Amino acid sequence: MRRLSDRALAEIETARREEDSARHALLTALRVVQEERRQVGPDEVVQIAALLSLSPATVEGVARFYDQISEEATGRQVLSLCRGISCQLCGADPLAREVLDNLGIEDGGRTQDGSLTVRLVECIGNCDQAPTGMLDTAFVGPLTSTVLSELLTRWRR
Amino acid sequence: MTRILTRHTDQPDQVQLDVARRGGAYQGFEAALSRSRQEVIQEVEASGLRGRGGAGFPTGRKWSFIHPAPDRPVYLLCNADESEPGTFKDHYLLKRDPHLVLEGIAIAAYAIGAHKAYLYLRGEYASLAMVMAGAIEQAKAAGILGDSCLGSGYGLRVSIQLGAGAYICGEETGLIQSLEGRRAYPRVRPPFPASAGFLDQPTVVNNVETLANLPWIMTEGADRYAGVGTGRSAGTKLVSLSGQVSRPGVYEVTMGRPLLQFLNEEGGGMPPGRQLKAVIPGGTSVPILSADEAAGVTIDYESMQAAGTMLGSGGMIAFDDTAQMPPALLRIAEFYAHESCGECTPCREGTGWMAWVLKRLLAGEGRVNDLDLLLRTGDNMEGRTICGLGDAAVQPVQSFIRKFRPEFEALLPPAPDPSPPWQRHGHGPRSARMGPPAVEAALSEPVEGPPTASL
Ligand SMILES: Cc1cc2nc3c(=O)[nH]c(=O)nc-3n(C[C@H](O)[C@H](O)[C@H](O)COP(=O)(O)O)c2cc1C
Ligand code: SF4
Ligand code: FES
Repeated sequence: MRRLSDRALAEIETARREEDSARHALLTALRVVQEERRQVGPDEVVQIAALLSLSPATVEGVARFYDQISEEATGRQVLSLCRGISCQLCGADPLAREVLDNLGIEDGGRTQDGSLTVRLVECIGNCDQAPTGMLDTAFVGPLTSTVLSELLTRWRR
Repeated sequence: MTRILTRHTDQPDQVQLDVARRGGAYQGFEAALSRSRQEVIQEVEASGLRGRGGAGFPTGRKWSFIHPAPDRPVYLLCNADESEPGTFKDHYLLKRDPHLVLEGIAIAAYAIGAHKAYLYLRGEYASLAMVMAGAIEQAKAAGILGDSCLGSGYGLRVSIQLGAGAYICGEETGLIQSLEGRRAYPRVRPPFPASAGFLDQPTVVNNVETLANLPWIMTEGADRYAGVGTGRSAGTKLVSLSGQVSRPGVYEVTMGRPLLQFLNEEGGGMPPGRQLKAVIPGGTSVPILSADEAAGVTIDYESMQAAGTMLGSGGMIAFDDTAQMPPALLRIAEFYAHESCGECTPCREGTGWMAWVLKRLLAGEGRVNDLDLLLRTGDNMEGRTICGLGDAAVQPVQSFIRKFRPEFEALLPPAPDPSPPWQRHGHGPRSARMGPPAVEAALSEPVEGPPTASL
């Protein structure tokens, strides 16, 4: 089992110490581990459980509830494309189709070299930039074919 | 018009404490600290401020349910989960005036006797968590937050919690569950959060925009606030405008402003050459209005209610005459099916079925009675669920179908022969037991379920 980095361990420990209940630190732990390992799979579940003195079943149960915590590893970067209603009204569907086809993947899929995961997501709260999305934690938009292909070329380099 | 929430949102560097303070930041907190908690609660009650998270519950009244006891810590939770489709006003405030939000949190925490507050941000707002963390650090360093806020002896700590992607975390008890490190399954009420919320302690959950009104109320007074807006809708409302409209964005609107005037003036009207077809006034959880219905409506709680819809979160989504209602409704129904937490059967199964039936309609595999099936499914969900998501999911389905029925009917298979079977086949009335042909056909087909709801 790979060890978590000292930085990640410290972050989890801070959350655990600062908050009024140890269990409360679970959500933060899941986020920190997801960011570092790009997944919370069986190994990660066991590690988090040990750190927070929780049962692996508890950690697993909570992890699977949240969309941003993934069982399978994501690519090094994640492109989230919004398919919410406002984005749909502004032409998000054909754009998303184009991106997925160009990369040869489906919703939630990862490129063959493992560098990028593309996800179709629900409204991300950035609807005035529709059609919009996120590259990791940065909002991008309004998206057009041109903007997206530029984004993807830059990512390929 | 009176600007209460967006006075400084265009100010460059407003995220910096010194810039914000030059504009008056934390004067409202100072004013609050100079009074007793009860006086602050009374002031907010008198202002008429109502919750901006969707339900419109009077804020001062909500606070008055809190009874601090020496052995029971009180918590304030600021709801920044903002996941209602079409809503991005909290995003705007957090990004452009973080100190305003933080000051609102501080005032509310003081009023309810909380010494610990959490800002619960949806996971997608990680970049805003950085902005807010910066604001909290600056406020701590300046002695605004900490063991003795502004030298008053009142202590307050504020922490940020990021979510991880689940709409239901915006529902107040779902938020509490999530903050406790659990699946965000909403809780059955009672007990209400005011008596047993976060860690079973007295808790108030308030929306970002609600809290952002407090500094102004504290400095300008309840009377002035109550004088802005109309009747039972005091103050202003942030409207998140999106969809098919020329100038989407966040606008501060005085309650009572005519909806169409707002759409045409601030919103710049429809894209060139298009006409307004419909508008969802308050996020996808409220009934849609046709263009005709929208014509008489003003932006406030009462007018929306009279028109059979709600102000909700103020997430206004415009549809022009090129919009097709069935695929739009499918998208919305899929959202609720995806986001139902699965805790109660009517919502878990109902949202799944509604999305499933709409999907088959759009795929050209609809059945003659599908529209009625959709309406009936909704009737069987409403009022039978633990939290408001079940009801919310029904609103778009019923209002879209009732108001734009011909577009949905066009997707149905050709109507069956309406004459009763005995007339067609020359049988006696006994064969009527077989029921109308449609039901017969439906029953003879294997019953397919919706895709398994994700738990
Ligand atoms: C399914 C569902 C989702 C909700 N999402 C949010 C949300 O994202 N933000 C919010 O402030 N309130 C949301 N609410 C309303 C909260 O439950 C709660 O009423 C609100 O945060 C109270 O704050 P207020 O009184 O200041 O409006 C949601 C309610 C439901 C039923
Ligand atoms: S109504 Fe839906 S979202 Fe709310 S508790 Fe029930 S299943 Fe969960
Ligand atoms: S619908 Fe795409 S960001 Fe809201």
